[in-house]
Amino acid sequence: MTTINFLIYLLTMIGIYGFLSLSLNFQVGFTGLINFGQVAFFAIGAYTSSLLVCKAGAPVILGFLGGMLLSGLFGYLISIPTKSLKSDYWAIATLAGGEVIRLIALNEGWLTEGAFGVMRIPQPFRALFSMDTYPLFYLILVLVCLAIAYIILSLLSNSPFGRDLKAIRDEEELSLSLGKNTRKLKIEAMIVAGMVAGLGGALFAHYITYISPENFRPIETFLMWAMIIVGGRGNHLGAIVGAVTIQLFNVSTRFIGAYLPFTPGFMAALRMVIIGMLIVAFLVFRPDGLVKERKKIYRFKNDDGEVD
Amino acid sequence: MLAIKELRKNFGNLRALDGVSLTVERGLITGLIGPNGSGKTTLFNVVSGFYAKDGGEIRFKGKRIDSLTPDAIARRGLCRTFQIAKAPEKLTILENMLLAANAQRGENPVSALFKRHSVNKLERENLDTAMELLTMLELAHLRNEFAGNLSGGQKKLLSLGRMLMRNPDLILLDEPTAGVNPTLANELLEVIKSLQKELKRTFLIVEHNMKVIANLCEKVFVLNFGKLLAEGTPEEIQQNEQVLKAYLGGT
Amino acid sequence: MDIAQILANALVRAAELGLLAVGLTMVFDILKFTNFAHADYAILGAFLVYTFNCGAGLNLFLSVFLAAVAAGLIAVAIDKAIFKGFRKKGTKSVTAMITSLGIAIALRNIVRMIWTSESRTYAIPIQRPLRILGARITPVQIGILITSLVAMIGFHLLLQRTKFGKALRAISDNRVLASACAIDSEKMIQWMWFLATAFGVVGGTMIAMEHLLYPRLGFDILIPIFCAAILGGIGNPYGAMLGALVLALAENVILALDFGHILSFGGLFELGSIQIKTGYKPAISFVILVIVLLLRPTGILGRK
Ligand SMILES: Nc1ncnc2c1ncn2[C@@H]1O[C@H](COP(=O)(O)OP(=O)(O)OP(=O)(O)O)[C@@H](O)[C@H]1O
Ligand SMILES: [Mg+2]
Repeated sequence: MTTINFLIYLLTMIGIYGFLSLSLNFQVGFTGLINFGQVAFFAIGAYTSSLLVCKAGAPVILGFLGGMLLSGLFGYLISIPTKSLKSDYWAIATLAGGEVIRLIALNEGWLTEGAFGVMRIPQPFRALFSMDTYPLFYLILVLVCLAIAYIILSLLSNSPFGRDLKAIRDEEELSLSLGKNTRKLKIEAMIVAGMVAGLGGALFAHYITYISPENFRPIETFLMWAMIIVGGRGNHLGAIVGAVTIQLFNVSTRFIGAYLPFTPGFMAALRMVIIGMLIVAFLVFRPDGLVKERKKIYRFKNDDGEVD
Repeated sequence: MLAIKELRKNFGNLRALDGVSLTVERGLITGLIGPNGSGKTTLFNVVSGFYAKDGGEIRFKGKRIDSLTPDAIARRGLCRTFQIAKAPEKLTILENMLLAANAQRGENPVSALFKRHSVNKLERENLDTAMELLTMLELAHLRNEFAGNLSGGQKKLLSLGRMLMRNPDLILLDEPTAGVNPTLANELLEVIKSLQKELKRTFLIVEHNMKVIANLCEKVFVLNFGKLLAEGTPEEIQQNEQVLKAYLGGT
Repeated sequence: MDIAQILANALVRAAELGLLAVGLTMVFDILKFTNFAHADYAILGAFLVYTFNCGAGLNLFLSVFLAAVAAGLIAVAIDKAIFKGFRKKGTKSVTAMITSLGIAIALRNIVRMIWTSESRTYAIPIQRPLRILGARITPVQIGILITSLVAMIGFHLLLQRTKFGKALRAISDNRVLASACAIDSEKMIQWMWFLATAFGVVGGTMIAMEHLLYPRLGFDILIPIFCAAILGGIGNPYGAMLGALVLALAENVILALDFGHILSFGGLFELGSIQIKTGYKPAISFVILVIVLLLRPTGILGRK
């Protein structure tokens, strides 16, 4: 692989994980919902889109939409019990939920091809580009979509909706006492988050063109968690910074590993030890992450607020 | 406006509310007093829907509210503050005020994205109201601070500010002036009084300071061990032997 | 469906899970956070047992004892390094929970680095199962049952009959108040970590003994442990034991059930035999967990 190809690959993977960390940050950093099954959105987006395209013959764009919708629907479903569950319990339930989705992908071979995985997933606009230029096109596609997701999420978090979510995160009882329908707000937040992550999953599937349940192990969820903890929660920039940092680390150590006298298994384990320790170290020494949550400052036109 | 009948609430064997009946008249400031642990906060928690009752009924504006969720009760116009003031720590003071605004648009993703113009317009109006109230509460200079950085007393002020912002029909205040400096506390009480006089707002206030109660309230209820010990005007209450006993200790 | 066999299998499984669930529930009871690393402490210990037993050739019981002590000390050290600071600063319990997830990932992969991802077995000779009341049960399983029973009784005595148990309960109710009553709560908390982890190591070793030992085992048993602890009402050690039993029974019954027979109302329709695919075996405890959470989040014993 040439350096430029490697760079394009790296950036594309950063972009794809950007969706997942943006989405997780929207749940954890804005709404205070501790989701340990984030990988489920990733899997649902990836499988729905590839199956729609490969099995039902839908155009890729429909696959993407389907992936987003189904993933959003999953977000809706798992957010229903947040009403009655303490956050610890909900976290455990989502961890279990993520595994159930993977087990379904593994066991329902008639639909998902089981452990073999879905192969030869078509790529959008493939015919318009040559072998060499297509990766660059795909990178741009991913980054454009990511930018749109980023803008939409920023608009949302800056709106009264986003303010309500933060209030739920910090003081749920107070939000209730002010008449906020916290249940509905959480559901809406989870649908939004599910759609964003689902799009990430779909983009992933059509990028690497082959997915199997192995791609959706719980370890993926932990990577996404590392991203938002390192990057910082409660602002979208942090999620992106986290995705860049962790993916740089993840992919580059894979690269460096080839030059070190260790087995691949050892390297993979070492990498995860460092990720785990990063999570712990940041929570202990820099709980806000690299990018702190920012204040929303209102400016007054006639500056009458500034007199005092 | 608020009618509570035979309200019961138990925590295990403890009868925190043991058949309490009381009424709050529209347009008046009603006081609720009693020794520590007599059940005042518990009453607020049950009325505002945070705790499920174990018996009795609660009517607000003539309708039963005792099986509603706290947010539904708040939307019907009954709002409460907390004895230990709460404030979302990573929202600024100004955002805290906006959060409470009664009329808001853009509280769901669709309208937040697609009706940005009208959302922003209403936000502007709310901002102006919020700034006025903050100035009155002497919090305006802190408007861009995270609420998490406020002192306990300042948080109390902020909770009152949110109530004024929200402007519900009935406001339950749990020790609104505890920890607030005396001059400001007096001003607050004046504000509450003027709200009642001019805007005909209704209050139910928990307060330990008898002077404050005497000054503010037309009617006072006294709780002791989860039971209603006495009710009447502040003068009557101050002369009630049982109340004096309860407050001076001994049963 | 062989009822005696199902019961036997369920009892063994409950004996294993119970020891793990008790530890999880203890940490929750005292420190008020869910320790996602609990199962990984236990599996780290189980690998230590493997090294003592198969590497150093020590007797199995001695190996378990040494490994339990070692893992217990590691848990205490981690607490001193990380959670103690959280307690001092009054960090939110959610943060502690996420931190424990990070610890879990690190520990699991340290195990992979040291022992590789291969599956291993202890040096126990293969034994012919005995027949007891019609159920086939191996001597190892009998050993598991007895060990677990002894450990549980010991735990009960410790909790009810000793000063330590009383102090622990006081801390669980109110840490600040307990400190005011001259209980050295930090020391008690260290003992609690030590015990919870040591119990976990025994439980984890027993599970590995019966099946296989591999680094991801910690994750695979995490959900069943949570399920048992929550079923019993998290924070309640006796509930955890009962929860383990209920979960184990449910798992084994569901695996043995022929849903075809049930859905056809005892043979009214021809449905053939429908059993849970073995691929879904891990999902059973997930689903039970979710159902329990939805229907009775306070557990079957129902605290509060
Ligand atoms: N959530 C709870 N669980 C158990 N007991 C409770 C709970 N909330 C209140 N109590 C008990 O109910 C009784 C009444 O408490 P409450 O907070 O209503 O008193 P209060 O009148 O507000 O006192 P104060 O003047 O000190 O605020 C007390 O004995 C208290 O310990
Ligand atoms: Mg009170």
